[in-house]
Amino acid sequence: MAKHSIIQIKDLKKVYDLGAFKVQALKGLNFDIEEGSYTAIMGPSGSGKSTLLNILGCLDRPSSGAYILGDDDVAHMDDKELSGVRGSRIGFIFQSYNLIQQLNVVENIHVPLFYQGKDISDHYDHCVKLAEKVGLADRLDHRPMQLSGGQQQRVAVARSLVNEPLMLLADEPTGNLDSSTEQEILDILDELHGEGRTLVIVTHDDAVAERAERVIHLKDGLVDQDIRKGAAKAVAK
Amino acid sequence: MQGISFIRIIGVGIKSLRLHKLRTALTMLGMVIGVWAVITLVAIGEGASHDAQEEIKSLGARNVIIRSIKPPSMREQMQGDWESFFRRWMAIYGLKRTDASRIKDTVPGVTRVLPLMTKRMTAIHGPREIGCQLIGTYPYYPEFTQAQLVAGQFLNEAEENSKVSSCVISLELAQRLFAGHNPLMERIVVSGYESSQVFQVKGVLQERASIEKLAQLPDSVGQTIAANVYIPLSSFKALYGEKNVDRSVGHLKLEAVELSEIRVEFDSVDRVMPSLPLLSEALNAGRDERDFEIIVPIRELKALQKQKARDTRLLMYIACISLLVGGIGIMNIMLATVTERTQEIGVRRAMGATRGDITIQFLVETLILCLLGGGIGVVGGWGFAWVRHHLLHTTTIVTEWSVLVAFGLSVMVGLVFGLYPARRAALLDPIDALRHA
Ligand SMILES: Nc1ncnc2c1ncn2[C@@H]1O[C@H](COP(=O)(O)OP(=O)(O)OP(=O)(O)O)[C@@H](O)[C@H]1O
Ligand SMILES: [Mg+2]
Repeated sequence: MAKHSIIQIKDLKKVYDLGAFKVQALKGLNFDIEEGSYTAIMGPSGSGKSTLLNILGCLDRPSSGAYILGDDDVAHMDDKELSGVRGSRIGFIFQSYNLIQQLNVVENIHVPLFYQGKDISDHYDHCVKLAEKVGLADRLDHRPMQLSGGQQQRVAVARSLVNEPLMLLADEPTGNLDSSTEQEILDILDELHGEGRTLVIVTHDDAVAERAERVIHLKDGLVDQDIRKGAAKAVAK
Repeated sequence: MQGISFIRIIGVGIKSLRLHKLRTALTMLGMVIGVWAVITLVAIGEGASHDAQEEIKSLGARNVIIRSIKPPSMREQMQGDWESFFRRWMAIYGLKRTDASRIKDTVPGVTRVLPLMTKRMTAIHGPREIGCQLIGTYPYYPEFTQAQLVAGQFLNEAEENSKVSSCVISLELAQRLFAGHNPLMERIVVSGYESSQVFQVKGVLQERASIEKLAQLPDSVGQTIAANVYIPLSSFKALYGEKNVDRSVGHLKLEAVELSEIRVEFDSVDRVMPSLPLLSEALNAGRDERDFEIIVPIRELKALQKQKARDTRLLMYIACISLLVGGIGIMNIMLATVTERTQEIGVRRAMGATRGDITIQFLVETLILCLLGGGIGVVGGWGFAWVRHHLLHTTTIVTEWSVLVAFGLSVMVGLVFGLYPARRAALLDPIDALRHA
C-alpha cells in the first residue's frame, strides 16, 4: 500500500545570519514523511533537530529549498497564511509544555480552536473528551500551576489534537519528565499512532526512538542516517 | 481572526488582567486619579466662577455703584497745623444730592439714580440688640437692587413724604432679632450715638446677594452688612441730618457725608462702559479731591469671564498632564506585561494566532483598563461633585465637556499607549517569542 506523503522537503537550508558570521544550521535536507507514519529525529546537540522541527511546524521559515505540506507550498506563505496552517493542520507538543497560565485545562485544550474562530461553548464536549482521553477527567478546571509536569504534558497532547491536525510535532516531549511519566506519555503517543495519526518526534532518548517506525539521524545540518524499521532498510547519506 | 467573537476577546483580556490583580489595580488607579482630577477640578472652578458671576449679576450688570470714600488728605497723620487738624476732626466729604442730579442730567443713557444714606446703628427688640445698618433710600430700592420682598410691603411714596416712622428690615435682621416670630407691625428701637428712634416694621426684604464680597476700599462709607433697616431718605435726613459722628475707633470724630452711595442705572448693558468717562467728569466737577469710588459690576463680570477662560485653560493643561502620566503608566505596565508574556504570545502564535489577534488582544486589555479606570474616575468625580454641592453646599458644577474630555482622553491614551507594546508583541516571530525565557 503506497502511502501518501504529507511532507516533502527538498534541499532545505537554514542559515542564521548573526552579522559577524553565519551559522548554517541546515545544509540541504531531502526527505518525505508519509501519512500515518511515526518518525523520530535524532542526532547530537546542535545538529539542527529543533531548527528542522520548527520549520516543519511553520514556526520558522527555511532560508532556501522547498517545503510542501499536504499540497501547499508552505515556504512561500505569508504570516497570516502560516498562522492558519499552524492553527488548523499542525499539533505542537513542547518540551516545556507551554500551557497558558491563566486558563484551566479545558480552556487550554480549546486555544487552537479559539483562533479558528470556534467558540468554546460549541466545542466544550469535544475538549472534555480529549481531556478524558489523556486521563485528566477529574482535573478539568485546574490551572497549569496546579498540575504535575506529566499532567501538564498530557494537557499539551490533548491540545495538540483538538484541531484534528494533519500531523503532531513534538520537540523532546519527555525531556523534562521522569522515566515512568515518560512511559505514560509515550503510551499515549503510541495510541495516537495506532489511531492513524502522523507523528514526528525529536528526541535524544533511544527508548523513544525504539517506538518509532523510522529514525532520521541528523549530523551537522545534514541527514546522517535514515532508518526505516520493519523493512530494516538503512539509507546512508 | 475572522469569527472570533468580541465578547470572547474581552473574556480573554479580563482573565489576563485578573491573573495580576494588584498590577491591574495600580495601573487603573493612575487612570482613575487622572480622570477624577480633571472632572473635579473643572467642577470646582466652574462652581466658583458661577457663584461670582451670580453675585455680580445681582448687583445689576446695567448698574454702576458710586460710594463715598474718605479722601487721602483726611486720612493722613496729623501734621500740626490747625487746618489739617480741623479737616481730620470735622471731615466733610463725599457724594451729594447734586451729584445724583448732575449724573442724571448730563450722562446719556442713565434711566434712574438711587441715592443712599447709611449709618451704623444698633437695632433693639426686647432683650436682643443687634448691630445694623440704617439705610435711607427711595421706594424703588428693591427693583433697583433686585432684592425680594418676603413679607409685608416696602416703603412707598406716601411714607417718603409723610415721615411716618415705619421701616423695612432685611431678612437676616428679622431672623436674628425676632427669632422665628412674625416681625410685621412690631416695633423696634434703632439706637445710635446721638439718638434712639422707634420704628414699626412693615416689611421684610431679602437682599439678592451681599455686595460685601466685592472688592472694597477699607474706608468706604457704604460698607454693606447683611442686617439692614430701611427707612425713607427724607426721614433719614430729618432724623439724623447729614452729620455722622463716628465714635467707633474710640475717639470722637465728626464726619459730614451727605450721601453714602449713589447707584446709577443705565438703559442697557452696552451703554455702561462708554459712559464711564462722562460719569467721572460729572462727578469731578466741583471737586478738588477724589472722595468716591466707582464700582462697575459689568467690568468685573468681564474680567471674571476672562479669568475663567484662563483658569479653564490651565485646568486643561493639568488634565492633559495627569492623563499623560496615567498613559505612560499604562504603557509602562503594558511593556512589562508584554515582555513577561512573550512566551505566552509565542504559544498563542504556535496555536494559530495571527499578528492581528495578538494586537487586538493586548489592545483590548489596555482598553478595558482605561474604560474601567476612566469610568471609575467619572463616577468618582461626579460623586465628589455631588457630595460637595448637595451635602457641603458649595457650588460645584460638573460640565459635560470635562467628562467627555477626561473620558475621551483616557481612552485615547489607552489606545495610543497600548498600541505600541501590542504591536511590538505581535511583530515578534513566533519562534523568537517562544524561545523567550
Ligand atoms: N536563533 C538562532 N540564532 C543563531 N543560531 C541558531 C539559532 N537557533 C539555532 N541556532 C544554531 O543552529 C544550530 C542548530 O540548532 P538546533 O537548536 O536546531 O540544535 P538541536 O539539534 O535542536 O540541539 P539540541 O539537541 O541541543 O536541542 C546550532 O548550531 C545553533 O547554535
Ligand atoms: Mg533542540
